[in-house]
Amino acid sequence: MLIMKNISKVFQTADIQTHALRDFNLTVNEGDFVSVTGPSGSGKTTFLNIAGLLETYTSGEFTLDGEDIGRLNDNGRSRMRNHKIGFIFQSFNLIPDLNLFDNVDVPLRYRGFDAKERRRRIEENLERVGLASRMKHLPSQLSGGQQQRVAIARALATDPRFLLADEPTGNLDSEMAQGVMSLLEDINKQGTTIIMVTHDAQLAQRSPRTIQVMDGRVNEIDIHLATTNQQAIA
Amino acid sequence: MLETGLIIRALMRNKIGALLIALQIALTMTIIVNAIFMIQDRESQMLRSSGVDELNTFYLTNTIFGQDYNIQSALQTDLNTLRKMPGVVDAIQINAIPLSGGGWSSGVQTEAGEDKDSIGTAVYMVDDHAINALGLELIAGENFSATDIQWRKSGQSTWADKVIVTKALALSLFPDDWQSALGKTVFISQNQTIQIIGIVKQLQAPWNGWDGVERSMLVPFQMESKGSRLFIRTQPGQRDQLMPQIEKLLAESDKGRIIRRMRTMEETRERSYQRHNATNKILTTVVITLTIITGFGIVGLAIFSINRRTKQIGTRRALGATRWQIMRYFMMENLLISGVGIVIGCIGAVSLNMWLVKTFNLAPINIELILFGVISLLIVGQLAVLYPAKKASMISPAMATRTV
Repeated sequence: MLIMKNISKVFQTADIQTHALRDFNLTVNEGDFVSVTGPSGSGKTTFLNIAGLLETYTSGEFTLDGEDIGRLNDNGRSRMRNHKIGFIFQSFNLIPDLNLFDNVDVPLRYRGFDAKERRRRIEENLERVGLASRMKHLPSQLSGGQQQRVAIARALATDPRFLLADEPTGNLDSEMAQGVMSLLEDINKQGTTIIMVTHDAQLAQRSPRTIQVMDGRVNEIDIHLATTNQQAIA
Repeated sequence: MLETGLIIRALMRNKIGALLIALQIALTMTIIVNAIFMIQDRESQMLRSSGVDELNTFYLTNTIFGQDYNIQSALQTDLNTLRKMPGVVDAIQINAIPLSGGGWSSGVQTEAGEDKDSIGTAVYMVDDHAINALGLELIAGENFSATDIQWRKSGQSTWADKVIVTKALALSLFPDDWQSALGKTVFISQNQTIQIIGIVKQLQAPWNGWDGVERSMLVPFQMESKGSRLFIRTQPGQRDQLMPQIEKLLAESDKGRIIRRMRTMEETRERSYQRHNATNKILTTVVITLTIITGFGIVGLAIFSINRRTKQIGTRRALGATRWQIMRYFMMENLLISGVGIVIGCIGAVSLNMWLVKTFNLAPINIELILFGVISLLIVGQLAVLYPAKKASMISPAMATRTV
């Protein structure tokens, strides 16, 4: 369970304060699939960075899976990311010099699994995303959709409780985007909580819950209803 | 968990930069190990004792220009005066000074004849006060007696019949047992006989670079020459005070000669090894400069590599790497690159040394020095990469979601 209460994030430069998040309140339950939408600069990515422990917040309370995040030091946050959070990035963020096997291996090494366990998890997850036969290929030898599948395999390899996706289909054509979305839905059905930041209203519509971030605040909407109303007016 | 395998595979796909720095490390290793070896070789030469009591001895040149000059009588007067002076231990006339760079040499052989091998030795023409005046240690046999001393005319080709040799010369003549040289008759100038009546522990030749520098021979001659050197030994601590006094005394006692080129044995040693010192300073500068350049090379490559991989580092942090794991990654990467460079460097260092041994007759390099080079360069590599690695570890995991 993810609980954010009155979270704010202020970026301070020499003489300018920028409030990226203001009194941000959100609860995400176990097994949820939440889409986060909003215009550019609204604070979506800041929210995702804080939710994924990539960035600290200025004030407020944040609990993830029962752990008070404000009390964790940098090592504690790293450990939490590795154990409980999986990331999917817009531009895949695969390591270009490593083949698919080694890319999926990266978080598993930080976890400290032995070689046998790592191999089992790598093969299982590459199999899950349909790329087991290409594990010796480099990322540059794959299409965008395939690269994102590898990133998903890497994110799932550590069995995370939360999967955070930052515009996971932003660099993919619509066909590939649908494929990746279907994969995320399957993963959610198997119990993993997913928070997905997206600009794509159609993709957001496919998730059971959508929140909109505006000026650093949460505006929860029933996107399904909103879409239906728009169609009726038309 | 170490990421050695991942680092190696990543490096193999991005070889050029790593290979260039490995080659730089190899070159540095090759050069510094051999440079240090040469420095050590010279240092050990400079640390050798000459056998002379260098702290308390000095010498001067006595040049006679007076007409109808009685050289024999003047020399005896000078020596008697000096030997009686308070603070003077002893004084002699000598034809050459150890380590001075100029002197006499001859060949000594155990069998007579032109076709027999002779052993080169420095020749010091001195009287029975030489052992005391030079501060030598007689380890076998006896000193010359006053009656052994002969006057040697300029151009004379015959030799005295008794000599005292250094242990090194005795060992060269009689390799099985240096002590057996005592009392033996050997040959000089191919067939003139000389008998070894004493052996001194050490007395170096005038030439420090000669491989027979430890081989010397004392011959009981006083030279009847208008140019000669007087060698004086003082009581400890009195040399510097006595030098001007003696110079003045000798100059004023006889107006038919000039006293000049007064110099201590310490100065002679310093002048003798001036080139060694200069070469060592140059080599030390080369070693330090090369090490610094290599260190900067490693820093440069590491910073370049980190700047290129900022997003990748952010991604690793996002995937759970701690700051220490990021630091360790870059330090391990450097260790592997340095390791390759050092292995190539070891081969280079030994190859260069083999060439030096063959070309310049140097001693072979020892394993301790190679180990020193290995450890030093590993430390330099790790220290050089420390700052860039620390910088990398401070990259925020949020970099993973930024568009850069």
